[in-house]
Amino acid sequence: MRPPAGDGKPLGPENGLTTDVPGGVPEGQTSVMTRAVSRLLLMPTIATAAAILVKGYVEPGDGFSAGVVAALGILMQYLAFGREQAERMLPLRGLGYMAFFGLLLTLVVAFRGPVVGQTLMTQWPLPGDAVIHVGTLEVITAVAFDVGIFLLVLGYGTGVISLIARVVGRAERRSKEENHRDPDEAYGEDMG
Amino acid sequence: MILISLAIGVTWVFGTVLAMLDGRRTYVGLLALGAMGTSLVSGVLLGVRVLQEGTVEFVAGGWPLGLGIALRADVLGVTFAVLSCGVVFVSLLYEVILGIRSRTFPALVLFLNTGLVGIFLTGDMFNFYVFFEIAMTAAYVLTAYREHDYQVRAAFIFAIVNLLGSVIFVIAVAALYHVTGTLDMALAAERVTEAGINPTIVIAVAIFVAFGLKLGLFPFHFWLPAVYVGSHASVAAILSGALANIGSYGLLRFGGYILPEQLAFGAPVLLVLGSASIVYGAHQAVARRSPVEVMAYSAIGQAGYILIAIAIAGPIGFAAGVLYAVVNSLNKTLVFLATGLRGWMVGAAFAIAAFSIAGVPPAVGFLGKLALFRAALSLDSLAGTVTLVALIFLGGALSFVYSFQIYQSVYLKPSPEEGKPSPLAARLLVVVLAALLVGLGLYPEPLLYVSERAGALVAGGP
Amino acid sequence: MTFIISLAVSIVFGAGAYLVLQRNLIRVVIGVILISNAANLFIVAAGIMRGRPPIYPLPEGQVVSDPLVQAMALTAIVIGSSVAALLLALSYRLYTSHSTIDIEDISRAEAEDAEALDRGEPIRRRRRGGGA
Repeated sequence: MRPPAGDGKPLGPENGLTTDVPGGVPEGQTSVMTRAVSRLLLMPTIATAAAILVKGYVEPGDGFSAGVVAALGILMQYLAFGREQAERMLPLRGLGYMAFFGLLLTLVVAFRGPVVGQTLMTQWPLPGDAVIHVGTLEVITAVAFDVGIFLLVLGYGTGVISLIARVVGRAERRSKEENHRDPDEAYGEDMG
Repeated sequence: MILISLAIGVTWVFGTVLAMLDGRRTYVGLLALGAMGTSLVSGVLLGVRVLQEGTVEFVAGGWPLGLGIALRADVLGVTFAVLSCGVVFVSLLYEVILGIRSRTFPALVLFLNTGLVGIFLTGDMFNFYVFFEIAMTAAYVLTAYREHDYQVRAAFIFAIVNLLGSVIFVIAVAALYHVTGTLDMALAAERVTEAGINPTIVIAVAIFVAFGLKLGLFPFHFWLPAVYVGSHASVAAILSGALANIGSYGLLRFGGYILPEQLAFGAPVLLVLGSASIVYGAHQAVARRSPVEVMAYSAIGQAGYILIAIAIAGPIGFAAGVLYAVVNSLNKTLVFLATGLRGWMVGAAFAIAAFSIAGVPPAVGFLGKLALFRAALSLDSLAGTVTLVALIFLGGALSFVYSFQIYQSVYLKPSPEEGKPSPLAARLLVVVLAALLVGLGLYPEPLLYVSERAGALVAGGP
Repeated sequence: MTFIISLAVSIVFGAGAYLVLQRNLIRVVIGVILISNAANLFIVAAGIMRGRPPIYPLPEGQVVSDPLVQAMALTAIVIGSSVAALLLALSYRLYTSHSTIDIEDISRAEAEDAEALDRGEPIRRRRRGGGA
């Protein structure tokens, strides 16, 4: 990329807009403390998210807020380690696809009603009917709906950030190597 | 109920699945076409049922009315839903024939259709906003389809301007909720009269600005030429043929159905703005040379006619508004699809669309102009009638001039660098569309019947 | 309370409107985000009333505040966030093709393209990402 012309404000690693240096964030940009803490906080965040998801049926909480909490936990890893290293440590590739599966799950639950002759978004089993229990968890379609929302929010939150980080990172690398690729092909691999 | 769910849901589910696949593959395009076709067929079946048995409605989740989100298919909504669905279907078919060049295109078109059909079939104001955003967000990305620099610029302008419009709209919805205590359109229409004109006139102005922006009316038109000229032919057809319907539908639904007193109060302003739109659009169109640019400015003028019909109000005015919106959407779809093609049949199709815009019989555009005349004659004041009739004549004459100009410069003049003609299937598609325009002009009864029913529904609101 | 909220809405909206009129694309995007958040505040304000949190079981005989506006605001926030992501992606795309995020430079390029179009020439492709 040629240097920005005129008084156009440059966007680039020099003003911290890129976290995508090969191998992750260079030493010094994030301290050992940040890395260690964010590493330690990952599992508790995920556990909290799961708790918010499950207890949403008796207390405040639902798939949406659970998804946001889980996504924040994962984004913290991106911030501390940089995209590439975070993706090496954790199975994060393809997390963006979760958004589509989540949306599909919610849609299937929502449109189940009309297919069996009930209104849109009717819960199964109907209120008052016998419910299948797994331990103390009640298996109802509302749970599936919320899990779908959870996956959608989680996939969207992490997917968008990692997608932008990847595209920006590739452009940076490419500008270093100065080899030109078909941009359409480059965008093509970015999902997930 | 199953029909409403199908019309909205099929493209939503398929859009989600296809978003994960590569849209450049043929089978993905065909799947998308199948989903669009299902949506269109359910829309048409729903329309037949609504015409025969009256409004179909239900509340999601089985909640009582007023608590849950109501989905309501009435004549007005179904007309616009079928129209937009058809336009999107044709544009997708056109793009599949020519070959899709982006992996996300089919999924985006399906999401756009979901949003559009949802907008027209929902009975809840906030739900309207949500579907509106689904459709608009898909449209922002679609504008950048093909990813030429000018297309990305157009997408950016389009997104910024229309986001401001959406924000104004959602503020108006929140204010209506505050005034009426409900989000249901029918309930709000009943209760809004109790609130008096003072607080609600501000809401009406906000709604007018939001939809005027979408429709590209005169003071809010500045974004429109850049976007229509920049975007790819099929995308321009979707934007002007399907997405602009949101503007006319929103003005009819919110202005005519929910806020009729405020509409009557603001009618003189709307008439002036509509006239300004017609004159400005036609005047700019005559001065341009490239066909796409002419048609983009012409769209501003055509939006002015719709606004005038709505400002005249009453069953006749609203019916004219619906009819003109339908006709205009068909015209614009054909025009923009035809500008993307080359070959001998395309010129004829383009000519039919251009003369339909000018209102020359037997093309369907004549019907729209005729309905407007009827509406103008129904005005009480003689001066108003004379001015409007003169204006419609002037607009028609100018549109005849620019239509003829571009037809002459593009299709009559043999151009030296004539490329190879477009695929026969794509050319046949525009010819079929052109035949539809003429056919509807020769046998106008169904269109007239539907628009009269819809006009009566809007006027007979509360 | 109403006064404070309306003041907050107007300040946020005003700041957003100021930023939208700037030359820098990123500032324009931030301005749009601010304006959409002003709308969210307005939605919350539309149903504002003093009352208990509307959490089941509802307290007997006491006023409960309106939960619907919260749901509406939440939905609007989500929509706003996805649109913000889209706008940022678009401005990044503009940056890669024009090497600037100054809107004046970009509109100059626009004018050049328009002139080329008027002369009947094909539009010049820029160095990077200039089309697929």
